[in-house]
Amino acid sequence: MIDQKTMQKAAEYIRKNCQAHDWSFSIRSANHTRTRFAQNGITQHITGDSNGISLTVAFDAKTGSASVNDTSEAGLAYLIETAETIALRNQPDPEFVVSESAKELPVTDNFSEATEKLSPADLVNIVEKCVKNAVSKDAKVSGMTEKDAGAYSLYTKNGFEGFHKSTSFSHSMTMKKGGVETKINRSMLDYNDFDVDKIIAQFNTQFDSLTNPKPIEPGKISVILRPQAVADWFVYLFWMLERRSADEGVSPYSGQLGKKFFGDSFTVKSVLDVPGLSAPPFTGEGLATENINWIKNGVIENMFTSRWYAQKTNSKPNSPFNILIEGGNTTEAEMMKMVPRGVILNNLWYIRNIDRKEGTQTGLTRDGVLYFEDGKIVSSVNNFRWNEILHDVTRRIIATGPSELIETWCKVPTFLVKDFNFVDTTTF
Amino acid sequence: MRHLLDVAMNAAVSLGADYADIRIQKTRREFIFLRNLSLKNTSNSLTYGYGIRVFKNGAWGFAHSNVFTPDAVKSTVQKAFEIAHQSSRVPYGNGLKLAAERAYIDTYRTPLTIDPFSVDINDKIDLMMEVNKTLLNFDKIKVATFMFEAQKDDKLFASTLGTNLDLSTTFVYPTFTANAVGNNDSQSRSFNLGGYAGGWEYVLGLNLLNEAPRVADEAIMKLEAEVLTEEKKRDLLLDPIHLGLTMHESVGHPTELDRVLGWEADFAGISFATPEKLKTYQYGSSIVNFMGDNTLEGGLATAGYDDDGVPNQKWHIVKDGILNEYGTTRATAPIIGETMSRGCNRATNYYDFPINRIPNLYLQPGKEPLTPQELISDTENAIYIEGQGSFSIDQHRVNFQFGGDLFWEIKNGKKHKMLKKVIYRSNNPEFWNSVDAICDDRFFQSFGVNNCGKGQPGQRGRMTHGASLTRFRNITVGGSK
Repeated sequence: MIDQKTMQKAAEYIRKNCQAHDWSFSIRSANHTRTRFAQNGITQHITGDSNGISLTVAFDAKTGSASVNDTSEAGLAYLIETAETIALRNQPDPEFVVSESAKELPVTDNFSEATEKLSPADLVNIVEKCVKNAVSKDAKVSGMTEKDAGAYSLYTKNGFEGFHKSTSFSHSMTMKKGGVETKINRSMLDYNDFDVDKIIAQFNTQFDSLTNPKPIEPGKISVILRPQAVADWFVYLFWMLERRSADEGVSPYSGQLGKKFFGDSFTVKSVLDVPGLSAPPFTGEGLATENINWIKNGVIENMFTSRWYAQKTNSKPNSPFNILIEGGNTTEAEMMKMVPRGVILNNLWYIRNIDRKEGTQTGLTRDGVLYFEDGKIVSSVNNFRWNEILHDVTRRIIATGPSELIETWCKVPTFLVKDFNFVDTTTF
Repeated sequence: MRHLLDVAMNAAVSLGADYADIRIQKTRREFIFLRNLSLKNTSNSLTYGYGIRVFKNGAWGFAHSNVFTPDAVKSTVQKAFEIAHQSSRVPYGNGLKLAAERAYIDTYRTPLTIDPFSVDINDKIDLMMEVNKTLLNFDKIKVATFMFEAQKDDKLFASTLGTNLDLSTTFVYPTFTANAVGNNDSQSRSFNLGGYAGGWEYVLGLNLLNEAPRVADEAIMKLEAEVLTEEKKRDLLLDPIHLGLTMHESVGHPTELDRVLGWEADFAGISFATPEKLKTYQYGSSIVNFMGDNTLEGGLATAGYDDDGVPNQKWHIVKDGILNEYGTTRATAPIIGETMSRGCNRATNYYDFPINRIPNLYLQPGKEPLTPQELISDTENAIYIEGQGSFSIDQHRVNFQFGGDLFWEIKNGKKHKMLKKVIYRSNNPEFWNSVDAICDDRFFQSFGVNNCGKGQPGQRGRMTHGASLTRFRNITVGGSK
């Protein structure tokens, strides 16, 4: 892995040798080990370092970019020559904006030595336990255990300098026996927060709650979206809530900035200070990160705005760097009593836009659907196809559970939503 | 660099590897993205390094590096060997086996006339700007984009079988989109024929400037088009570009043997097309023939050899409607009793472990002469779909829902009116068994996919699909809600 000193040395080389009027230089480097297993055996096992070194230059408003994967002088010389050659031959970019200058950055901590020290043998030990558990249940388990330890730095001609380190440990697994299939996924900055025995116990509880699915017809049905399902879907919000697209009329949020457009209880933010939630001190554009509300109690307070578009519209640039959806305090057991009948969804799958302007999306359920009636789980049921509009769904939220960390960048709650639009069932 | 191939293989043999290979890969990629006359990204990337696989006691270890010295190569072999040993503590079954293969010493180069990396960037940008301006000259076109990608992969591959390969593949991929706004709606139309293994001559041959006004017109027409609301069984006419995506999802992925075996169960999913269905399962009607063909001219998976060192091949995946064979690798084929691999093991970058991939896969054209016009004339009521839109399929690859890019109502054998917001839902085996007519090979068109996401960690694979205009009977078609 490239260390901070080497990154700085590379930046000095760029500063000394790059002839462009402006430039922005970044290095991303990580050491990783990934142990993949399927059907109770390891099928893939990878270790190594990965590096991405990128330079964007500008001569007046003519820009060019290049990237390589090594920091040798030959590599950096190639990087400069390639980016400069592109820029000099390029046409001026009417949306060019000069690079960021030096600024004070927040102090954040996204690094864990325990995660960094994990070895391939450690990961195999985790897999071995999960496989033994599956064998004990006469089931087959597949998944991946991985660790990443990396660093990112950004330098500009105008004096911006930023560096941060981060780690992540992830473990996901799917267990299958006959028609019963379910998945669990955990991701964290610090391996010390991982307890394989606890995860296996939770996984077994989830697995044991499922039986061979019984058929149920599609239609408008109340749903309990567990946090993984919320994370699977609501991440799309962060690709849609862009100010320029809204202003150009191609997004569902056109003309809605500052207005109530989502459900009353729906609040989404990016935050610096929630334990376990990854928060880099700066963005790829060199913006210092800060706490920001995107949607508060249903009102769109901010939309993502690039530096150029902020300049054009005389607004403040911003960018999402993690997702915190505010939670409530209703338990799943309480939610089941709040509607006569409904289904509990573990995961959502293969979500795609149908109509970008309306915000209509489609997807399926996956990894176990439970049908409940009169406050009690009755049985597993088949999977569904759904077509829905995310902002409409937030207006139909009846209750919210506590937020849970699902990915290092994502903490979201359980939602109880009425009249979820299931349009079809799967044939298995 | 060639001497490092020997260094790696000698090191692997002396450590006691049962099998090993090294793939030195240099990937050069040019990417230009234009949005409303603003060049949002004009970049050239170079990724260069090597990956070493060691197979020991029925398990894999893989390590990679970008340090090109004999010591670094030996150290990388050592790491791969050590983690193969770790992997063998939790073996797959009684340990993986590799299908037999012989040694090859060979070279391969994508046939091309004009190397896309030799073309001045100004020429590319000029063409893109002209197309963008043409689109934006239409009042209702508010957002116009153009994306161009060219990629060249140079590989040196050696294995302990004695194989020594020098392979070079190149592809280009131009695509542009017009977004129209009006009528309280926004609709888009794209020109997207996919990627093609070849050079800049392919881009010039597309006459993109001539296509731009049609694309803009059709985006604007979609604003005024009628919304299809009633969901009911209808006939469908699907064009080759649309079918490229449909077959990718509903035939390509389900017939990758690693999915069939459950190796993708935790992420991409599994497959309904399990081995006991081979040679008996009615995947499609009797006129449905799907070929796996990594020798296809212009195919994005046409590379001479795969990353197992297995030569490119052509075979029936579905023959006369029956599931015939899978796409396989040296590690997956023996599990179902196959003695040889079909050569479908491919990695994206040097640091990626090769995985079982869809080959170039296409629907064979109809054997009887049939033009698109004759097929339309022979169709009383149907929806004709052009291009690609929304797509979603379950993790077993059975139930799916697709949209499209442009929709026409066919009435009494003629294109009656344009529609918008159309989707259809179907499943395997209903969908491909409903095929009753396929236009002939004069109307065959290919579509190269360059962004097939699969694997953990995710990799971006590429392959080409193809078809002629095809008719499907009695499929559930309706509006987007």
